[in-house]
Amino acid sequence: MESNDVPNSRSETTSEVIARLERECSRARRHLATVLENSSDMVFATDADGILVSFNRGGERAIGYSSEQVMGRPARDLAADPSEFERLEALSRTEGRATHQEYPFRHKDGHIVRFDLSLIAITDSDGRFAGTSSVCRDTAPMKKFHDDLIRVDRLAEIGRTASGIAHEINNPVAVIGEISGWIEAVVGDAKGMAREDREELETAVQHIVKQVKRCRGITRQLLAYARDSEPAQTSLDVHELLRETVSFLNPELRHKDIEAVFDFMEGSLLLQSDKQMLEQIFVNLISNAIHAVKEKGEAGGRVVLKTSRDGSTVQIRVSDNGTGISEENQKRMYDLFFTTKPAGKGTGLGLPICRDIIGKLGGEFSFETQVGEGTTFIVRLPTG
Amino acid sequence: MNEKPDIRVLLIDDEETLVEYLSKRLLREGFMVKATFSGEEAVEVAAGEAFDVAVVDLKMPGIDGVETQEKLKKIQPFLQSIVLTGHGAVDTALESGRQDAFKYLLKPIEYDNLVDTIKAAYKKKVELQQAKFQQEVDEIYRAGMGARGIKKAMNKLRKIYGIE
Repeated sequence: MESNDVPNSRSETTSEVIARLERECSRARRHLATVLENSSDMVFATDADGILVSFNRGGERAIGYSSEQVMGRPARDLAADPSEFERLEALSRTEGRATHQEYPFRHKDGHIVRFDLSLIAITDSDGRFAGTSSVCRDTAPMKKFHDDLIRVDRLAEIGRTASGIAHEINNPVAVIGEISGWIEAVVGDAKGMAREDREELETAVQHIVKQVKRCRGITRQLLAYARDSEPAQTSLDVHELLRETVSFLNPELRHKDIEAVFDFMEGSLLLQSDKQMLEQIFVNLISNAIHAVKEKGEAGGRVVLKTSRDGSTVQIRVSDNGTGISEENQKRMYDLFFTTKPAGKGTGLGLPICRDIIGKLGGEFSFETQVGEGTTFIVRLPTG
Repeated sequence: MNEKPDIRVLLIDDEETLVEYLSKRLLREGFMVKATFSGEEAVEVAAGEAFDVAVVDLKMPGIDGVETQEKLKKIQPFLQSIVLTGHGAVDTALESGRQDAFKYLLKPIEYDNLVDTIKAAYKKKVELQQAKFQQEVDEIYRAGMGARGIKKAMNKLRKIYGIE
């Protein structure tokens, strides 16, 4: 309290008392107003006729109306179902309060926003009903959190199931591989077989071998995804690793006539991390970039690898000028087995694996994309 | 394939069809192959017959791959083991590495890779054996035994290390 508000030994005059009380009162009001304004909840009050007499900034953020726009209007007009709101008002009048979970309000834009609504009757000093005060908590963040939990849980479950299946399928696939190898040997040794028959059989066996390899690729990736091992910590140069990856994918790049551009920061980019895991991230991202460029089918396809360093964070950007990712696909791109590549070309595991690995390495994974323009995936990793 | 020495391979896997076809292919390649379908059977066979390389599946009912190759090692100290493993079992496989397996290979195996690995394992086995043999021979000379003693000791060594 400030000293001039403290009654001193001299007795106050009536006007002094009033002035002091007014100051205290206005300070309390300011204090309350600040609290209300800064609440992320939507808080508003009405008079006895249900007309809005206050509306905080939380409300402005939540349903798009400014306080000036709604003051003096009936509160029920904000609700998606005005008659239901009136019923709640009446209930609070008789019961003192009324609550409603996930109560729908209508946003200025027209869409529905749901709140956990708590309506309290306000009475004046004589105990008469003077209006209501409503506190509305946006349920979307909680609901999103809840949905995310379910999603993560579901993903983990899918991962476990899938790796179990991958394990079981491994053995029969191995057997098929051995048998086809044997057929190849027998055909190779066979005498007196017509040339075209031999060629036919050889091609067929090669196809089996190829498909076995494909199965092997899928099961290995899946098992790598489900694997829970700790990342290794070895010293490595990101630039070197990126160059190696590009040279590994070079046949693919050259075949599709795509230019790989290195936009590296000067010198080497040293990191303590897991080489194999990083390699897998780079292979996946660059393969995706190649695919996106190819899909677009225009000349001048480019994949740009850019590195930079900011304090203890390393940033690797893999950009392409391909098709971009539609909003619909953005939602599903981390779903296991979701792929936009043609059958047999994509496993639908690349991006979930990238995200999983980057998480294990303590980094961050994000992307920027524009349909028709291209996509950039951004990997941020701690240096040590 | 004639210039290749006869490499004696012991196959151990409970997946019988796999063993059947894998042995056929390896036999055709010129390896001498003995097929067994459990760790127990392999240990029994190894007690009476010498091998250069064992190819053993990690996951088997009864004694598993790691234990099998430990037991084999006790019977035939120079025998090199290649352990086949699924991905999730890499940790156990590493343990088997500590137990001195020559290498572990991810299942499903790539045939050509397996053949190369068997040859490399054989090479290591021979080197180890030669080195040990040489060491024992040097020992005998240093001990300064008479001609007859040396001859006797050498015969014993030949028998132990299977060098004719």
